[in-house]
Amino acid sequence: MDDRLIFEKSDSGIKASYVKKPEIGLKEPKEILPANCLRSGLELPSLGELEVVRHYTNLSKRNFSLDTNFYPLGSCTMKYNPKINEELASLEGFLNIHPYQNEECLQGALELIYNLETLLCEITGMKRFSFQASSGAQGELTGMLMVKKYHKVMKNKKRKVIIPDSAHGTNPATSSMCGYETKVIESDKDGLIDLDKLNKAVDAETAAIMLTNPNTLGLFEENILEVAEIIHKNGGLLYYDGANFNPLLGVTTPRLMGFDAIHLNLHKTFSTPHGCGGPGAGAVGVVDKLLEFLPVPLIDKKKDDFYFNYKIKHSIGKVRAFYGNFSVLVRAYAYLLRLGREGLVRVAQNATLNANYIKERLKNDYNVASNKPSMHEVVFSCTKQKEKGASALDIAKRLIDYGVHPPTMYFPLIVKEALMVEPTETESRKTLDYFIDSMLKINKEIDENKEILHNAPSAAYVKRVDEVKAARNPDLRWVREK
Amino acid sequence: MPYILNTENDIKEMLRVAGVATLDDLYKHLPSQIRLKKELNIPSGFSEYEVKQSVTSLAAKNKTINSFNSFLGAGLYDHYIPSALKPLISRAEFLTAYTPYQAECSQGILQAIYEYQSYICLLTGMDVSNASLFDGGSSLAECVLMSLRITKRNKVVLSSLINPEYKKTLYTYLSGLNFKIQEIDFDAEGFTDRAALKSVIDENTACFALQSPNFLGTIEDIEKFSSLTKEKGALTILVANPLSLSLLKEPACQGVDIVCGDGQVLGGSLSLGGPSFGFVATKNEYLRQMPGRIVGKTVDRENKTAYCLTLQAREQHIKREKATSNICSNQSLNAIQAAIYLSLMGKDGMQKCALYSLNLAHYLYGRLSEVKSVKLSFSQNFFNEFIWQIDDAKSVLKKLYKRKIISGLNVGNFYPKLKNGILSCCTETKSREQIDNFIETLKDILK
Repeated sequence: MDDRLIFEKSDSGIKASYVKKPEIGLKEPKEILPANCLRSGLELPSLGELEVVRHYTNLSKRNFSLDTNFYPLGSCTMKYNPKINEELASLEGFLNIHPYQNEECLQGALELIYNLETLLCEITGMKRFSFQASSGAQGELTGMLMVKKYHKVMKNKKRKVIIPDSAHGTNPATSSMCGYETKVIESDKDGLIDLDKLNKAVDAETAAIMLTNPNTLGLFEENILEVAEIIHKNGGLLYYDGANFNPLLGVTTPRLMGFDAIHLNLHKTFSTPHGCGGPGAGAVGVVDKLLEFLPVPLIDKKKDDFYFNYKIKHSIGKVRAFYGNFSVLVRAYAYLLRLGREGLVRVAQNATLNANYIKERLKNDYNVASNKPSMHEVVFSCTKQKEKGASALDIAKRLIDYGVHPPTMYFPLIVKEALMVEPTETESRKTLDYFIDSMLKINKEIDENKEILHNAPSAAYVKRVDEVKAARNPDLRWVREK
Repeated sequence: MPYILNTENDIKEMLRVAGVATLDDLYKHLPSQIRLKKELNIPSGFSEYEVKQSVTSLAAKNKTINSFNSFLGAGLYDHYIPSALKPLISRAEFLTAYTPYQAECSQGILQAIYEYQSYICLLTGMDVSNASLFDGGSSLAECVLMSLRITKRNKVVLSSLINPEYKKTLYTYLSGLNFKIQEIDFDAEGFTDRAALKSVIDENTACFALQSPNFLGTIEDIEKFSSLTKEKGALTILVANPLSLSLLKEPACQGVDIVCGDGQVLGGSLSLGGPSFGFVATKNEYLRQMPGRIVGKTVDRENKTAYCLTLQAREQHIKREKATSNICSNQSLNAIQAAIYLSLMGKDGMQKCALYSLNLAHYLYGRLSEVKSVKLSFSQNFFNEFIWQIDDAKSVLKKLYKRKIISGLNVGNFYPKLKNGILSCCTETKSREQIDNFIETLKDILK
């Protein structure tokens, strides 16, 4: 296999001819601009189109992806990304529109965003949505900055945000970016919020609690209404990290659970592709009392015309240029139309069923992190295997040899040797059975020949990668050899 | 049901294994008060055919820039995208993969991002780049936060000629924290006012951020600012257009400490402004304060070259409330797209693209100077866009629009003193004929 970088395949004689030479007398840059603002050389490679095509096609083949492998990566909701959504997002009418064109030119796009907002309001019970945030974490920042400004306008003296120890790392990181002190509360023995500890942690200075429900152990916070009461009684707000909303579609809403501000990861629950880590979209929804704080602009309608509404009294401003990852919104909208009200409930139920099926079939061989009923994902604690000499990491790497993308490892942090499995609703029982059988075989391999696990993966493009060396001697870019 | 593969039989059998009687029983531990009592009030699902019809009809309601003679730029640019790009970036193995946490089964993604990082370093001249951020605006905000961490100071100074959308984003990002932001004005030629910076910058200043070419199109004399910033021990942050760097001097050679910006110009479509991606590049010494994912080169157990995510101890999943940023998902696919675009275009293609844009924009400038009532008072040191002024700009724009010409952006909303200022842009996609058509129509309107 050819492991060379694109830079090492360059041939300086090759010239691309993609752009048209203008029909005007061309001047050299130095005839137009002062010499001190021009560069002297440009180190970029030169390749023929076929070489570039082959290079990146070959790179693409060195990966697992959802379309090629089962990808039960917990907390990431790797559900099937329907192809129709890709086709629709690529329509010329969506690709070639500039945000500074007159609203008259953008009516179809604005209507789509408006319709998507209407659907999500019904699905979550929120009053309005902003689509500016490009990811879940940016959604959290948007939501929590609204919380901050709300307290400021209301003249509430708040400085703390409460976060369970099972939370996604983005929650405490977001709280810090908003200038809040993070107060971590320990989960109870089942992995749920401990109401006593919560009561002790909450006081008049509590700005908000940030919660994922189901939480990162895949458990529903059964005391959510009590939690909401405790926080609200102290003048705080509830922020919902919607990363795990998939199993609750059409079953309950964040509004019914008592949340005031939420984000939904459209790239998780609403089927838009993850693209090696992005682009996603974090749709941020709020209840009435936070409406005045939403980012500008919102999309509103006057008679039959849609327009950008910048008149939002206490708006936090903007969290990025323009209006968000629009083409991600197109995909999520198409998905919602396709599923409809019955479909969404089936999504939730089957996501939950699939996780519970895996849990029941594996629970005798792998410890389950909690005895509580599971929702869309199940967290195993591979402590038995660790005692026998194979870690969660070894098991994860061995799964690669079986053609399965490893589950999320060592998260949540409160579970030892954690493997977090989220199958999603789009996988067939046959696929789940294959995964279960692989996990059972691996467990046997630990007894028979654990070296196989230590040396895993053996069938991937590379053997186990030395991540320590990568961090110790950072080599982060190509440099021409002298 | 679309996209769900469990049959009724499967469900029955799986419920039996799970020890649950019905699907609804999977939820019986949820408090009854929070259960939805009736179905959601949204339509039933549609067939794929109907969805296609419905969404396609929305797309058809938009009037794309291709139905006009458009000179819109202002942060998003209409460049030609080679046909080979889409099939490569649409490959499912890129499109449907997650963040490459598991290095062994993500080598292709990781190498592509490593190449992307290398490209950003080559263009900017800086030492290191991350794997992308969301967009130009949030990348500026993240870089300013980075400078505040590095210097442990509390004041930020900005050129008012940074893209107003980016500035607004920065203000929002900093709104929860106690930092002071000061903006400095611009001079009569469309440059950031250096004297104003001199009077404002002090020992509390963490950074001075400017953009070049700035929002009015003018190429700033960056060293004049970075030397001043350095004197006070502050960092210089530059917002750059990566495509312009095919011609313009590397920021690293102009005393810049951190470069950031938006990467839409590198093979991205307009798409109403998203998704594009944000880039960040800096010096080695600031590497550990850089936010976002980073890919590094290493080896596997058999000493074969391999790649992996690295320096993750800066990130939220490890450092939690002490992380450099809360960023998790980024815009990887757009960053890989940029690497492929740069590979297809190559050195010659990128230079031509920039050269043609430069020449066409200056040709437009020359032709506008023939029009009597047009005022061109700013410097001619611009790359692909510039400001021209005309009395009652709004009505002129409207008349041109009626004749199918989008002549540019009226910047009056952002800069009140430029209420009649129009920012017009030419990329390599413009033709002489289109520019001449704009000028002749303008003359006709002004008759």
